[in-house]
Amino acid sequence: MPDHRVHPASYRDPSGFVFQSGSLYYRQVNKSYAQGYEELLRSGLYETLTRRELLLPHTEIGENLTGSPEWYKTLLPRQIPFISYPSEWSPAQLKDAALLTLKILSIATDHGMILKDATPFNIQFIGGKPVFIDTLSFEKYDATLPWVAYRQFCECMLFPLYLQHYLSTGTHWILSAWPEGIPAGVTAGMLPLKSRLRLGVWLHVLLQSRIQQTHSSKDTQAGRGRPEDGGPLDKGWPDGRRPEDRRHLSDGERSVDRRTAFSKEKLMHLVNNLESIVSRMKTDDGKLSVWNNYYESTISSQSYLEAKEKLFRGFIGGLEFGSALDLGANDGYFSRILAQALAEKAEALAPKAGAPTEKKEGVLAQAVIAVDSDWRCIQRLYDLTRLQPSFPIVPLVIDLANPTPASGFHHAERASFSGRARCDLVIALALIHHLALARNIPLTKIAAFLADLTGEYLIAEFVALSDEKSQELIRAKSQWQKGYDESGFEAALAPYFAIERKETISGSVRILYLLKRRGGEAEGRK
Amino acid sequence: MKVIFLYIDPGSGSYLIQAIIAAVVGGLFYIKSGWLRIKSFFIKNKKEDPSMNDHKDA
Repeated sequence: MPDHRVHPASYRDPSGFVFQSGSLYYRQVNKSYAQGYEELLRSGLYETLTRRELLLPHTEIGENLTGSPEWYKTLLPRQIPFISYPSEWSPAQLKDAALLTLKILSIATDHGMILKDATPFNIQFIGGKPVFIDTLSFEKYDATLPWVAYRQFCECMLFPLYLQHYLSTGTHWILSAWPEGIPAGVTAGMLPLKSRLRLGVWLHVLLQSRIQQTHSSKDTQAGRGRPEDGGPLDKGWPDGRRPEDRRHLSDGERSVDRRTAFSKEKLMHLVNNLESIVSRMKTDDGKLSVWNNYYESTISSQSYLEAKEKLFRGFIGGLEFGSALDLGANDGYFSRILAQALAEKAEALAPKAGAPTEKKEGVLAQAVIAVDSDWRCIQRLYDLTRLQPSFPIVPLVIDLANPTPASGFHHAERASFSGRARCDLVIALALIHHLALARNIPLTKIAAFLADLTGEYLIAEFVALSDEKSQELIRAKSQWQKGYDESGFEAALAPYFAIERKETISGSVRILYLLKRRGGEAEGRK
Repeated sequence: MKVIFLYIDPGSGSYLIQAIIAAVVGGLFYIKSGWLRIKSFFIKNKKEDPSMNDHKDA
């Protein structure tokens, strides 16, 4: 039996799990889900969803790679370039994920199936659009029952989008604080009064909050939990039994117990209502952030940008890289240059269609991860990637002074940003002076962080203290990191990197470095 | 006996909420489609008027 490692986040659903064997990720289907999996194929749902590129396709491997007695099937899904988390998405990305979930739900019911969960963790961004990745999220649809994942959908997607619509804070904060979804009661407290003018807010937020409060206080008063735990009967239903209790009835019993039955028509009313609400959600308040239009209007001079781009293109022209990470990407001007270079290379190599590409250190070849702490910039870049799906850019909202930590149970469910984002080529343009001068991070620590992320090459821009932008950052400060100069920067990088090229960007006091990671030769690339 | 196992908690009263929402939204849907039918009746009449005038003018 080959060595394998079960993914630490893949334990909730007993239908199966994701595991890694060699350099590839697989999904095991357990015997308990055999019926569901066969139904997914038999109903034509899998074919419909993969043909429309809504669901990640897979091939079946007729081998039990884990040795588990629960084994039913092993699936090899098309490998994903990079796993991102909803707390790293811009609001437009979350909105697209919500719409995809509803679309899949609607298509599934037409095939006699339904989604049994609705977490945004089931969705990843590939080629500029969201794709559903959990093949085991479908179950046979019983039209007499409502949607079991309705609350999860609301808490993980609808409520953060409502808060974004009214408060424009970015959804990443909300999903960082509540990774499993923000409760209705908390959302209701945060929404402004004007939101009460919307029927959707009354139905999905306020009603849900009120009913949840009533139920939990009833359960607390009775000193017991849910009905299945022997809790109090619910007077909201004719015989005191909620429909969820009826799920455990046999078909025969259920057929005579239809007084409160749901129907497909009712479910479609609910889904259409959610779809109409989500599609009308505003993801941007139209305000420009400090960094929006940085390259278009706030940048010192056009000639500076042209000179920098020329040098940059010259630097990357001689490099071999399959993955790239743009730190402080702004609206992705340089990410797009990298993505174009990758797309051109991919076209030249013309890989065989459908062939699974090998995963390397958590990142597939052919991906540019573009990160910035400003969600408006990332949202703008996401809008551009939607228009150019051939450019393999994954835009993410990450504050580099406080990147995503490892989290979840045992700190192992969700990997840290550094644990996922190591790339062949890292670029840090017009970034280091912000970390050093605005966030007071010593150059030695910045260099160690960059070394953690860099597989092979680093292109870094050093902005001198005399630069107008650096001066802006220290204007109100009497103290900043000492030793912030060219030699201090080079000394900080020296333990990890060797300087390959160093050029001053003409018309400025900024220097562009091409650095090679020490020890990177072991990777066997040029 | 057929048993469906849930691995996520649907939430207290989640099904009751969905029943209420489906009823409200469904009700509104029927009112709206009724209203559209009335509206289209008048709009159709309005559309007919200019053509009738055109016909008269001709």
